Amino acid sequence: MKFLRQVVVLCAFIGGLGGISIALAADLPTLGEEKEPSAGLAAKDLVLKGDAKCTRCHDETDSPKLLSIGKTKHGTTADGRTPTCTSCHGNSETHMVNVTAGQVQPKPERMFTKNSTTPIEARNDACLTCHDKDSKRSHWMGSTHQSREVACTSCHQIHTAHDKVRDKITQPEVCFTCHKEQRAQINRPSHHPIPEGKMACSDCHNPHGSVGPKLMKRDSVNDTCYTCHMEKRGPFVHTHEPVAEDCSNCHNPHGTTAESMLKMRPPFLCHQCHTPHGGQVAQIAGQHQSSALLSATTSGKSGINYTMARGCLNCHTQVHGTNNPSTTNPTPQFNFR
Amino acid sequence: MNSEKQHHGFSKKVMVLAVLAAFNPAYGAEGDDIAQLTKPESSAGIGLSYASGNSNEKSIFGQYNGMRHGNYYGQLDIDAVKRDDATGTWTILTGRNLGLDDRDLSFSQQKQGDWKYYAEYSQLSRYYPRTINTGMLGAGSTNPTVVLLLAPGTGTELNLATKREGVGLGMEKWLTPSLQFEANIKNEDKEGARLFGKGFACSAAWVTAGVCSASTTQWALLMLPEPINSNIRQLEAKLNFSRDKLLLTGGYYGSFYTNAYGNLTPNVPGTLNNPLGTPTVLDAGLRNTLGLPMALPPDNQAHQLYLDGNYAFTPKTRMTFKYAYTHATQTDNFLGNGLTGAPAGKADYGGVVDTTLLQLGLTTHPMQKLSVLANLRYENRKDKTPQALYSVDGTEVFANSKYSLKKIAGKLEGSYQLPDNYRATLGTDYEMLDRGDFSSPGCGAIDPITGECTGSSIAGVTAVRAKTEEIGWRAELQRSISETLTGSVSYASSRRDGASNWLKPNSLPATGTTELSDTQIYNRTGIFPMIFENRIRDKVKLMADWSATERLSLQFIVEDAQDSYGAPTQKGLRDSGSLLYSIDAALTLSEAWKLTGYWSQGDQDIRVAHSTGYDAVLRNLNTTLGIGVAGKLSGRLAVGADLSYLNDSTKYNETLDGSASAANKTFLAQQGGLPEVSYDEFRLKLFGKYALEKNADLRVDLVHFRARLDEWTWGYGGTPFTYSDNTIVSFDPKQHVTYVAATYIYKWR
Repeated sequence: MKFLRQVVVLCAFIGGLGGISIALAADLPTLGEEKEPSAGLAAKDLVLKGDAKCTRCHDETDSPKLLSIGKTKHGTTADGRTPTCTSCHGNSETHMVNVTAGQVQPKPERMFTKNSTTPIEARNDACLTCHDKDSKRSHWMGSTHQSREVACTSCHQIHTAHDKVRDKITQPEVCFTCHKEQRAQINRPSHHPIPEGKMACSDCHNPHGSVGPKLMKRDSVNDTCYTCHMEKRGPFVHTHEPVAEDCSNCHNPHGTTAESMLKMRPPFLCHQCHTPHGGQVAQIAGQHQSSALLSATTSGKSGINYTMARGCLNCHTQVHGTNNPSTTNPTPQFNFR
Repeated sequence: MNSEKQHHGFSKKVMVLAVLAAFNPAYGAEGDDIAQLTKPESSAGIGLSYASGNSNEKSIFGQYNGMRHGNYYGQLDIDAVKRDDATGTWTILTGRNLGLDDRDLSFSQQKQGDWKYYAEYSQLSRYYPRTINTGMLGAGSTNPTVVLLLAPGTGTELNLATKREGVGLGMEKWLTPSLQFEANIKNEDKEGARLFGKGFACSAAWVTAGVCSASTTQWALLMLPEPINSNIRQLEAKLNFSRDKLLLTGGYYGSFYTNAYGNLTPNVPGTLNNPLGTPTVLDAGLRNTLGLPMALPPDNQAHQLYLDGNYAFTPKTRMTFKYAYTHATQTDNFLGNGLTGAPAGKADYGGVVDTTLLQLGLTTHPMQKLSVLANLRYENRKDKTPQALYSVDGTEVFANSKYSLKKIAGKLEGSYQLPDNYRATLGTDYEMLDRGDFSSPGCGAIDPITGECTGSSIAGVTAVRAKTEEIGWRAELQRSISETLTGSVSYASSRRDGASNWLKPNSLPATGTTELSDTQIYNRTGIFPMIFENRIRDKVKLMADWSATERLSLQFIVEDAQDSYGAPTQKGLRDSGSLLYSIDAALTLSEAWKLTGYWSQGDQDIRVAHSTGYDAVLRNLNTTLGIGVAGKLSGRLAVGADLSYLNDSTKYNETLDGSASAANKTFLAQQGGLPEVSYDEFRLKLFGKYALEKNADLRVDLVHFRARLDEWTWGYGGTPFTYSDNTIVSFDPKQHVTYVAATYIYKWR
């Protein structure tokens, strides 16, 4: 079945490659082929419908580079919904007036730079005029980012083919502009493959708003985790309630020094709720325990056994729950087996 | 935009053309300068890379990037983008890391505003950073054989890894200008093995229960890799309707987990080591127990139907909403998974969990300067699994642990624009969790009509709470002090209390719980799980964003958070705190050069009191530092460097109280408790990209990675933690890797 699927997928890609090769080849300039004359320098549209009003003054030497918008979805003029410059920046009639030397040129109606005086809401309205019809943004209004006045352009770059936040590899650095704590965490030895570019923040979070807490992509923390870790979903014959309630009770998904992205290493993590098997303080092998603490007859619930290796999980292995139905001793309700 | 040059009739287009012509006269000659600036660009890179060191020396560096093993790797990336300008149809082929085993490949076609389809393939291997030395046979299978080694370190090396391989297909179609259909399916296989284990101690209770013979000191810990061969499928289909004021989505989301393995059953030898490492004949009961099957995760599935969207009552008043109903089941056959001993008549668990979710939100501007938002979220997770007596322990019986949860959360927030560019925000939050009656696991009998326990109980903790309620408020003041300086200060505080009394499990064999107040249940050494405890939470945050000059911008953040826990005990989780400072800077040196930097300092602590007389105060200190520079040395040569440093250390301070044993007092006095655990990571990345031709670059990357992990998880001072079969786990604490890659990049339009 797996093989069959891989064959189907491979065929699909080969087909796709074939298609794109033909398509791309058609677009590659051929030696000796005459190209269409380039756009003249007269005031006519260069990239967007109706952009001449702006491009007679502005071009690629601006920052952000103006013409690069042509490389983006916004620059797809065959799509009748795509904007022109004034759709976002406003008609800006005062900006169009010639000024004499020494006068300050009035700015366009809507500016999106960091220090712009255009209210955030007005900036975002420019985007939402079209993009509020997308189901992925259905809960933007009232979301944390909206209510904290995060502008769309705080994260997105509009005039470039490579919008950093839409690329898995570069997205985290955009998010870390505000989320400093997470920046420190993702490089700890136990982490999701975010620094390696295999996962991005948006694999778990929907920055445009969601019903889940912390802008989780799914309806809850657990439902989001289950998209990759569905083996933890159960329900199990013997459930560990805090696990079923919220994975983040024990895990910090942004990275930890303790193994398995645990917020603390066992036994301390477990001691927040359980303190059985006392008797001995946490110990590690090699600390030269006295015979009172380590001998041939020391209990398996010793300070070393619940501190080192997997800690409490050395014995209580099935900490996410077990589906073992056995009614005979040792019964599995303590997540032994 | 550059406002200095916005005068009619003047264009820098000529200058651009001049620059382009200087770089490559062919541009002007070809006359495709505008096309170059406005047409999507494609590229493909092929190259070779080298990462130094053996697999142990780069186990952190190579955890996920496909470079744990070997030294030489092929580099192949493609980013082919084609847009048919006449129809607005995009064709995109993207491939990343195709020469490594963490590759991604995707293909899509899209006619903007009409249709789209895509196919994607993804592979990710995760190599467990530690190396196991064991005598085990069949490690990673469902039936491994434990072999006692003569001495630690004399077995064979075992490196565990898991591999995910996923395929996704999806499509979108605008059926009408206001109706869109979307569907996607994702299939992911996961194979390999991860660290797992089993341990059992023959306590007096188990001797009494007949599990072990008279010996109460026999025990064993085994390292058993968990075998993984599973599949996750997710399917989603939805219809999006949008018109004027309404956006409405109705959809189905199905998720399915299938595990090819049902249990892990080790073959256990008759002799394993005692605590001093001396081979000892195992008690027959202990050996039998260690050889019992361990359940592996069962197949399960969930189906969700949902309706969500938003509605604009007016341009300034909008409502968001979602209703979802999820039916989740788990009916994996016990015997089919090799799990015996189920209660009579129970072929499978018959797990059913139905969840209803309802969310309503409202945002409005009742006045020009005032914005208000309100949100209410109701979630009711009902565990409808039939109950049965799954465990019989002498005269005591235990039922399966059904777990229902009702959660209501709401918030109300107002934000007002004050004079002098101040903006004030006030908000309140509410959350209530109701876990029902905790109908598990102690159970006297099953009601033949309802299938429910006639008595319900919990075990292993002093008490639980059905309901907790948290009410919080927060305030934020933000000010744009000038065009170049904005700042904010915020404070949030919340109180979580029990909205119901504690439920104390009755002493077995009696079942059920007894409701008791804090005073009635007070127990100095009691165990009250932290999710039920009262909690006071306070958080302060200061932020400043300053564009010091046109070229230099700075950002400052200070964040302090404190949690304090309370329960009718002096033990368990008591308090925790977190403090974070961070400074970021970005400096534009010139048109061609940019410099960035950041520094963050974090300080977290947590205090956990153990019931038998010691407190643990854990303190984590971490410093992160980053410096980056990027620029152009010439028109053809772009270079960049990024340096990052991380230092993370955790101190484990343990103190004793009067109830501590003499042995513990002596031990702590002599050894001082647990040593500090620290992790240092230094990473320097350099790159250079040279334009060989107009459509070809040569890119060279150099990364130097150094990491040092001082810890005691698997050993300390040369003494390893040793499993009962002399299996040990090791890790190279100092790792240095140098990575070099050269890539030829071809570009086209």
